[in-house]
Amino acid sequence: MTKKKPQLAQLGRYKITGELGRGAMGVVYKGEDPALDRTVALKTVILSDDAAGKDEYKKRFFLEAKAAGRLSHPQVITVYDFGQEGDTAYMAMEFLKGKELRTRMQEGSISVPEAVHIAEQVAEGLGYAHEHGVVHRDVKPSNIMLLPHDKVKIMDFGIARMRASDHKTSTGLVLGTPKYMSPEQVSGSPVDHRSDIFSLGVVLYEMLTHTKLFQGEDTPQIFHSVANFQPPPPSRVNSEVPPMLDFVVERALKKDPSVRYQDAFELAADLRSALSELVDREAAAAGEKQRDRDTTKTMKLDADSLRPVFPAPTAAAIGSDTRLPMSLRFECSNAIERLTNPTRSDRKRLTRAPHPVGLVRRIWREPGKRLLFLSILAAALVGSAIAVV
Amino acid sequence: MKPANAAANLASVVFLKIQEFARRPAQEQARLRAQLEAVVAVVTADLRPAGWIALDAADGIAIAVLDDPEGALRLAQRSLTAAAAGLPLSVGVNHGAVQITSGGRGTDGMTGDGIAVAASVAEFAASTRVLISRSFRDALAEASPPLDAGLSPAGVFTDAGLRTHELFFPDKSAAGRKQRRLIAAGVAAAVVIVGTGIGARAASGGHQKVFDATMGKVGMSAKQRESWLRGLREKVGFKP
Repeated sequence: MTKKKPQLAQLGRYKITGELGRGAMGVVYKGEDPALDRTVALKTVILSDDAAGKDEYKKRFFLEAKAAGRLSHPQVITVYDFGQEGDTAYMAMEFLKGKELRTRMQEGSISVPEAVHIAEQVAEGLGYAHEHGVVHRDVKPSNIMLLPHDKVKIMDFGIARMRASDHKTSTGLVLGTPKYMSPEQVSGSPVDHRSDIFSLGVVLYEMLTHTKLFQGEDTPQIFHSVANFQPPPPSRVNSEVPPMLDFVVERALKKDPSVRYQDAFELAADLRSALSELVDREAAAAGEKQRDRDTTKTMKLDADSLRPVFPAPTAAAIGSDTRLPMSLRFECSNAIERLTNPTRSDRKRLTRAPHPVGLVRRIWREPGKRLLFLSILAAALVGSAIAVV
Repeated sequence: MKPANAAANLASVVFLKIQEFARRPAQEQARLRAQLEAVVAVVTADLRPAGWIALDAADGIAIAVLDDPEGALRLAQRSLTAAAAGLPLSVGVNHGAVQITSGGRGTDGMTGDGIAVAASVAEFAASTRVLISRSFRDALAEASPPLDAGLSPAGVFTDAGLRTHELFFPDKSAAGRKQRRLIAAGVAAAVVIVGTGIGARAASGGHQKVFDATMGKVGMSAKQRESWLRGLREKVGFKP
């Protein structure tokens, strides 16, 4: 966190000692609480100039601050106090010494176990908040703080509601950061805790694949992407991701909230299972590495990077023009080669439609029909002999 | 996306679908998926290596079997043994057009009506059941004529796209039933043909002459014949 010279010297009882950052809503300051001799982060919000709007804005800000202030959880930032100083409303929060997840993602790729561990802690924190009736509405990497000893804290609970003027659509107000919004946020539909689960799914996807999930040149394009784009499973983008995480991410990113995870604790439990699987796998790999240290091996090059990067649809969604990706688990290159570069005989055999089977062939190949034919033939001979001889 | 090969090929597509997959917890989904992959590895072992392509679906795996309907049917039936290990599979089998598509580096896939119909058929199949389309039955009949006798009609189904499918299911007793029917028809036909021969002979020479000639052929003298006829009349209570 960078420290700049503050413009304000005092906010309420807090003495401002530095500036931590600037956002869409206002400035975040570093401050000192002289009563408790405690360092705090002071998040400020500039209240509206319009008197009616100002009252409404202030009311909502304090309501949200109060709700966030009730939360006390290791993965949720603690709100100590809130108040107003002139046209500036402020919230005094726990001062965190750490690094934003956004910065960490920009610095370099995060390992799969680390990503899962971060997401699991965030899911735990969200689950707690949801249990207490608080929906974050703006889960994104810059609102997740990575602390020493692999701890994580979620920041800015309930603040998204204050940013009503950030993104407006023809259908109404939307709150949040477009790339991390849920489809229901994008469409202006009522939002509940499952929206946070979707946003966390986006964050997890990006950590696992080191790519941006929903892209677009402008906000409408991003909104369209959020509402319609079906992302490929993370394991297809990053081969280190185990299949179980594909299912976890897929469920978290369901467009329809009713088929998404209904509970952040459920998501956290699945992430814990995936993490233990990853830890086991890494331990097994480490053991294998130790055994192979003094041996030489012929390695097959990993072809995963050349493999398809598009999602696999469900059976119900498959139409004649639906593309199914080749499975990564099975070696089928010979058969693919047969189809792409067929030999003359293959070309004839593989493109020929089945013809109805003729009677002679059926009699020749089927024992039952052969028996019928032979008995009729014998009977005909006997009958003819009786009739004629 | 462009087709890698302009001509559409035909393949037997076996669609292995895990029932109620989307409703299951992620951990169970991962376990079932791993189980399904293990099953596919086992059941494809006896297919030619250049004879099949595995495709991923979100809730299952589709296997396109090239030029081997009999192998495809065997694969479909063998995969159901996996149900014993707690894998709730339904299987749809179809024979139809498939095409490799390539959207550039690393985006190979497969498309086609063969896959779409197999997926629809799998949707109709109940857990631990195999359903087979009419076109697969025709392909099987052509490749291995006796095997299509082992399929019984399952009915006509209409999918979400209002397309109707005439479906069959493998029925172990169907082949036996058909065999018995053929034997009965053979016996009946033989009796009718021999009877027609006898009738023709009787019509041309009179029934007493035919009777005498026939009895003479089986080696009965006139006295023995008279005694046998008397005994027969008494037995049936016939009084001329």
